[in-house]
Amino acid sequence: MNGTRLRDDLIGVMGAGVGTPLSDADFDDLARRISEQQWERNPVFARFCAARGVQRGSWSSWHALPPVPTRAFRDRGLVSRGPAQAVFRTSGTTGGAAARGEHRVPDLSLYHASLRPNFKAHLLPDGARLPMISLIPSPLEVPDSSLSHMIGVVEAELAAETRYFVDKDGRLEERGLRSALGDAEGAGDPVLVVGTAFAFVHLLDALTARGTRFRLPDGSRVMETGGFKGRSRTVPREELYAAINGRLGIPPRRIVNEYGMTELLSQFYEPVLAGGARLHRPPPWVRTRVLDPATLEPLPPGREGLLCHFDLANLGSVCCVLTEDLGVEPPEVEGHGFRVLGRNPGAEPRGCSLAMDELMTARSGPTL
Amino acid sequence: MRTFPAWWLPPGVPGRASPAATKPPPHARGAEHPGTAPTAFSTASVSDHLRLRFPTPDPAFARRLCDHLVEAGARLHERRTDSLVASLGRAGARFLDPADPIRKEALDVLPAAAGLSTAMAREVLDGMARDWTADRLARLVRSQFPDTAVLDGFRPGPGGSRVRAFGHRLIVQVGAGNVAGVSVGGVARALLARSPVLLKPGLHDAVLPVLYARALADCDPGLAASLAVLYWPGGADTMEAEVLSRAGLVVVYGGADTVAAVRARLPATTPLVAYSHRVGVALVGRDALATGRADRAALDAARTVATFDQRGCVSPHLFWVEEGGALTPAEWAARLAAAMAALEQDLPAGPTPPEVASRMQQLRGTWELKQAAGEGARVFRPAGAEWTVAYDPDPAFSPSCLGRFAWVKPVPDLERVAGLLAGLRPFLQTAGLCGAGARAASLVEQLGAAGVTRVAPLRRMGWPPAWWHHDGGDPLRALVRWVDWEVEQEPRAPG
Repeated sequence: MNGTRLRDDLIGVMGAGVGTPLSDADFDDLARRISEQQWERNPVFARFCAARGVQRGSWSSWHALPPVPTRAFRDRGLVSRGPAQAVFRTSGTTGGAAARGEHRVPDLSLYHASLRPNFKAHLLPDGARLPMISLIPSPLEVPDSSLSHMIGVVEAELAAETRYFVDKDGRLEERGLRSALGDAEGAGDPVLVVGTAFAFVHLLDALTARGTRFRLPDGSRVMETGGFKGRSRTVPREELYAAINGRLGIPPRRIVNEYGMTELLSQFYEPVLAGGARLHRPPPWVRTRVLDPATLEPLPPGREGLLCHFDLANLGSVCCVLTEDLGVEPPEVEGHGFRVLGRNPGAEPRGCSLAMDELMTARSGPTL
Repeated sequence: MRTFPAWWLPPGVPGRASPAATKPPPHARGAEHPGTAPTAFSTASVSDHLRLRFPTPDPAFARRLCDHLVEAGARLHERRTDSLVASLGRAGARFLDPADPIRKEALDVLPAAAGLSTAMAREVLDGMARDWTADRLARLVRSQFPDTAVLDGFRPGPGGSRVRAFGHRLIVQVGAGNVAGVSVGGVARALLARSPVLLKPGLHDAVLPVLYARALADCDPGLAASLAVLYWPGGADTMEAEVLSRAGLVVVYGGADTVAAVRARLPATTPLVAYSHRVGVALVGRDALATGRADRAALDAARTVATFDQRGCVSPHLFWVEEGGALTPAEWAARLAAAMAALEQDLPAGPTPPEVASRMQQLRGTWELKQAAGEGARVFRPAGAEWTVAYDPDPAFSPSCLGRFAWVKPVPDLERVAGLLAGLRPFLQTAGLCGAGARAASLVEQLGAAGVTRVAPLRRMGWPPAWWHHDGGDPLRALVRWVDWEVEQEPRAPG
């Protein structure tokens, strides 16, 4: 079967690890094979691409494929259709279920194949198998969260014992968590703490209120993810990391930010544990471009624009996904990473009309 | 990059005053002209081509400035409405005089300041300044006070009483999200209402009020002494608290967060007039789809979307088009697209801010996919165009990303629109209406009941007159403080 071979080829690329580069030609060849399969299975996407002049027989390069906005994941049947092993949903806030993006994943093996080496390389580069303290709800509680699913895979395959301390409604099980942190401190063995930025803020507030500090053992590390979308309290990142250091004893150089979204099956991490810069690095099977927000033309390094990812792991939906996140590729690291600047950094409104976001606050975006 | 001094201060505020300067110098571009010379400055970028320069926030100075304005403002009580209208109108008319250097400077700086194309900046200045003339201001006063003399002195009231409209000790006007020029109207109304005014303009509306203050100082220095324009960036909490605590009335233009933050800081006794961000919608009836009329409606619609690049609370997010006319709603959407394309030549869009462009890409891409799905959705946007028209067969309200993105949605009957507005009540403002024929009166009743506060022809949606009831409130009466005098009856002399 053609489809199975393509999937196996992709899993092979991912299995080679994030340190094995994928040449432009090989990336393009995979992108073409994937696109052909997607066009065959999703006539809507095929017509969309054809309207922009890209179709079977006219392939020039993956650069020519029209990006699909994350917003399109909210409308059923546009980007992913048919039977699915899992359906992941973006976190809706006040917009109701209809405003939540939906990513139907026909074959989870690609998701797992993508997340495994990337997580290992960035959180466990020393090959450690650590107990995990999760401030992300368990996949049993939130089966439609791609982030929870990812943590479930990490639990099963990469971590030692895992304990979950946040429930599906985002409530922190504070007492159990304090005792787990105390146990880890006492045992002297390093731990992996994973959570959303917002969950960490909650935890740190609780510890501050009690005046409690932990010194988690050397070698402990943190994976922090997600922003503060729709939350009442936001904290600058430096402040958050300083507070994690102060309350948990894990220094900023051991705190890794993960940037991911429901619409993509691959993630981006900062290679700080390996001594790298605070930049998000795409794995070899993802190409990230910074596009001019007005024209969607690629921008040169150093210019701020919209992040657009081409993720080969998205075989079952669409690969070229246009986000609403502004980002920049620092010139000195050309091709090796980008910095996420967020949605709307500090702009003052220019008019008096109600913006879309104020009217309908639910947006698709980073998981949880 | 050009720098614009984003403040105008009356002469003689103690503390930082430069004693030599008592009169603002002529409109030398970029000159630091105030009689009161601040000593420390900051800048803020407005665009790639312009930055604002402003005195570094200094709460102690702000306090002295407020006290100074209150003192100068006390003299406004003695002024007659006619003379105020004449002076304010004279300053305003300069913005319409092609030969006037003030207009030239405004046209020069406004595009970068407000993020508009040169042609749109001219259109905006012309539309705004029309309402700053003496004739329009006089009509505003008359519309609000059938007996305009109540502004000049006590007048007979009901039951033998007397009544007079007083100003407030100080009006603080905060602009944090409004289209360019709106703040000038606010300043003129405050002064007409006999209140001194301290304006904190929005980052994108600092140019016109500063130039207006300069023009006013030229023709009526006494009146201009009751006015200060001072930009400072958000987050200068002590500065803001200082100023707000001295206000007799606060007027704020801004988003929900800004309005809530200002409200939270006000003493319970200080009244607040808030103009929060709102949405406009439009209704196109069957009559407007007739041969010979459909294109006219499309042109008017295109113009009203293009005005302020759709950023006004008066700008429509969408057009509900009635089915059963000579054109289907989808066909009319194509006419609107053609009109948008034609208008782009005359009235090009300004640079789209990245967050707006981003939302527009999200909507465009999604609608192109929906069009590919063949469920009736259509998107009109030639490559390279700054505008988008999207036809959505679902009549439910959808917000636009703005920046010239118009939805077109079908309704079987315009009578349905009021129902579609449910849930939007707190945000509604202007509804454009055309082609409703004899049904117009009953439709306006329904729209009014649904929360709409203004109904206007499509072409005029963007330009409410000076005397409009902005968000349903009184433009001038909301700014005065009535004093009732129940006159003591002298006992009749015996005999």
